[in-house]
Amino acid sequence: MAELAGAFAASHGPLLIREWEAIPRDQKDRLSKAFLELGRRIEQAKVDVIVAVAPDHWSNFSLDHVPSVCIGVGAANEGPPEPWMKGFPHREIPGHPGLALHLAESALREGFEPSLSHRLKLDHGICIPLWRMELKRLPSVIPVIVNSIEPPLPSLERCLAWGRLFRKAIESYGENLRVAVLGTGGLSHSIGEKTMGAIYENFDHETIALFSSSEKKLVEFLEAELPAHGNGSEEVRNWLVAHGAAGGRGFELVDYLPVPTVIVGCGFASWRVNG
Amino acid sequence: MRDYWLSRLFFELQNPAAAADFRANRETFLQKYPLEESVRAAIRDNDVPFLAARTNPYLLRYYFFTTGMKDAEFIRRLRDG
Repeated sequence: MAELAGAFAASHGPLLIREWEAIPRDQKDRLSKAFLELGRRIEQAKVDVIVAVAPDHWSNFSLDHVPSVCIGVGAANEGPPEPWMKGFPHREIPGHPGLALHLAESALREGFEPSLSHRLKLDHGICIPLWRMELKRLPSVIPVIVNSIEPPLPSLERCLAWGRLFRKAIESYGENLRVAVLGTGGLSHSIGEKTMGAIYENFDHETIALFSSSEKKLVEFLEAELPAHGNGSEEVRNWLVAHGAAGGRGFELVDYLPVPTVIVGCGFASWRVNG
Repeated sequence: MRDYWLSRLFFELQNPAAAADFRANRETFLQKYPLEESVRAAIRDNDVPFLAARTNPYLLRYYFFTTGMKDAEFIRRLRDG
């Protein structure tokens, strides 16, 4: 049977690539170390498949079609379309249709209705973390797009429920596979709105603290505070999916640092998924 | 409020070939989109707040990145108009 071998979260942001050289040395070192630490843990966990939970930054979907949740069930997905991501070493990234369809079927049986795609472009949201983790061997990647870009957005509770569902589905899949859930995005940032550039450190610290306490308080806090703390912060949904997969416990902060050069409160986390 | 055609224009300008076309001949490129005259004028004038009220903020940012506006200038215009 397949098993959940890890749950992780990491921030992303175009400026982590475009402005990398402009980031102060000490922050650059911490960012590198945090990404590499997640990579080390993924390698140590001998992960065969990563379920990568991220928003679509208008790379696949336009206003013509805005799915709340879309599971990539294709045999392969495309590398990042952004011109400034051309250094990313993979133009095509293997998926895992067997497990991905099992996730989709399990979801439908349980009253969730995901959209499906047989070929997605994996934009910087997924590829920056994969790139910076410097994995020696890239596992198969099942992309799960969660809309945190174009309101209305899926509820926070639902994101936790998706995480729980993914774990149940993974653990009922017949093939021997080690699967990790990786949520990408957050923590606080603000894009294309009046507060663009703001990083809300107190909000981030409170969010991080609540990941280690009560799931209910975490959701209540985020529901109340997200609207006033930057639209990019909505990507914390992807952390909630990882949190749900981990059973709502075992959160460990790998690092957090506000990085004004990349206008993101950069967070990195790992969950203990067993025991 | 979302202006569909404005958003579609910004979405399609993510394609580097379309962006090059747009930079080379903005007015002809804009003819392909049934935009309202006020929207067309806002694009001509780089009226960030006007456009911000009508499209997705991420699309707005990509658009101004594509046109070569520096983030600092974009942020100033978001705040001050």
